Amino acid sequence: MSQLYRAAASEGLIQHPLDSMTLIFQKSSGITHMVVDPVPAILAVMNKDALTAEDIAGRLSDSYDLEDSGAAADIVLARLVELCSLGLVEQV
Amino acid sequence: MHQLYLTVGPTRFRLASTWRRPLDQLAALYKDYPTSQDGYADFTVRLEPEKPWRRYFRPSVHISGDFWLPDAAPLPLDQSLLAAEMGMNLQMALGWRRHLLLHASSVEKDGKALLMTGLSGSGKSTLSAMLAEKGWRFMGDEFALLNPDTGMAHSFPRLISLKNEAIAAMQAIVPENRFGPLMKGTPKGDIRHIVPPLDAVNRMVDAAKPALLLFPRFGHDPALRDMGKSEIFVRLTQASTNYVALGETGFRALTQFVDTVPTRAMDYQSGDQAEELIDSLWSKLP
Repeated sequence: MSQLYRAAASEGLIQHPLDSMTLIFQKSSGITHMVVDPVPAILAVMNKDALTAEDIAGRLSDSYDLEDSGAAADIVLARLVELCSLGLVEQV
Repeated sequence: MHQLYLTVGPTRFRLASTWRRPLDQLAALYKDYPTSQDGYADFTVRLEPEKPWRRYFRPSVHISGDFWLPDAAPLPLDQSLLAAEMGMNLQMALGWRRHLLLHASSVEKDGKALLMTGLSGSGKSTLSAMLAEKGWRFMGDEFALLNPDTGMAHSFPRLISLKNEAIAAMQAIVPENRFGPLMKGTPKGDIRHIVPPLDAVNRMVDAAKPALLLFPRFGHDPALRDMGKSEIFVRLTQASTNYVALGETGFRALTQFVDTVPTRAMDYQSGDQAEELIDSLWSKLP
């Protein structure tokens, strides 16, 4: 069974897009994260749901023109691991 | 202990010293600044001997106060004015919470503020001192104070600290009676302070709307360069001493600043070149 992930509650985050990056201020830690695409999109489609990397890639493909959904799931998984280490996503 | 109360911008300091001399020097240079009448102070700076016998024998000044750095090296007594200034800056950098602090110089014209930030040696202090003699109101050469509620820049016009070559450059345009003593061979090189113009002191509670931010860089062919907002944001977090401490308040204040204040990197080789570049930008502001 694939690992499920859930994003931190959006009420606890302040997202602020700049030119090439998006700032994410995490209220609980007081840390400012600087992230690039596709992280803001991943967090947006996760909403409050517990999802696998494949689920997230599927939701992204509804909004974006993804060429290879298998590769997209790998990319999403790599970002999810990083986001877990930042405390912006947790394993469920 | 000798004591002196001093108000700079929104901040009230109590300076306490084992020796009279540094406080006499400060009192003379800050003679036009308000003093606290009620004995209340935001911060205390203490200038004391490193060891009791160092009060008399090769006297050296150890800086302490409400906030202090454990590894700060003591300074010889003839550099005690520098020690007092460093002590006041340290309290602001580590303890002030009412504004977002940017390590920047600032000047004002027509209610609008020009902020200049950059690494040591960028010339931000000298440029602010120079502009203060040419029709701009000096707001500070060390910290710009941003009000998180209004976005306005507040003044912190302490003595202007000139280093090395900047001393001679400013002696050409500022009368001698506004200079403090020359301190040679300090950890920062030769240092001499200038008393800001009286207008800067009389109007030090007047805030100004930030209208232009510059990252000056001395010693390169004159040029102006656009900067991306991400680069500006990162460099301003590095230039702020209390961004992290202010938490969400600091984040909102800084993102609002980056979103709304036009910003350029400015290279220059002389004060005249810098003034020309600044005037060209300033004249095009809305």
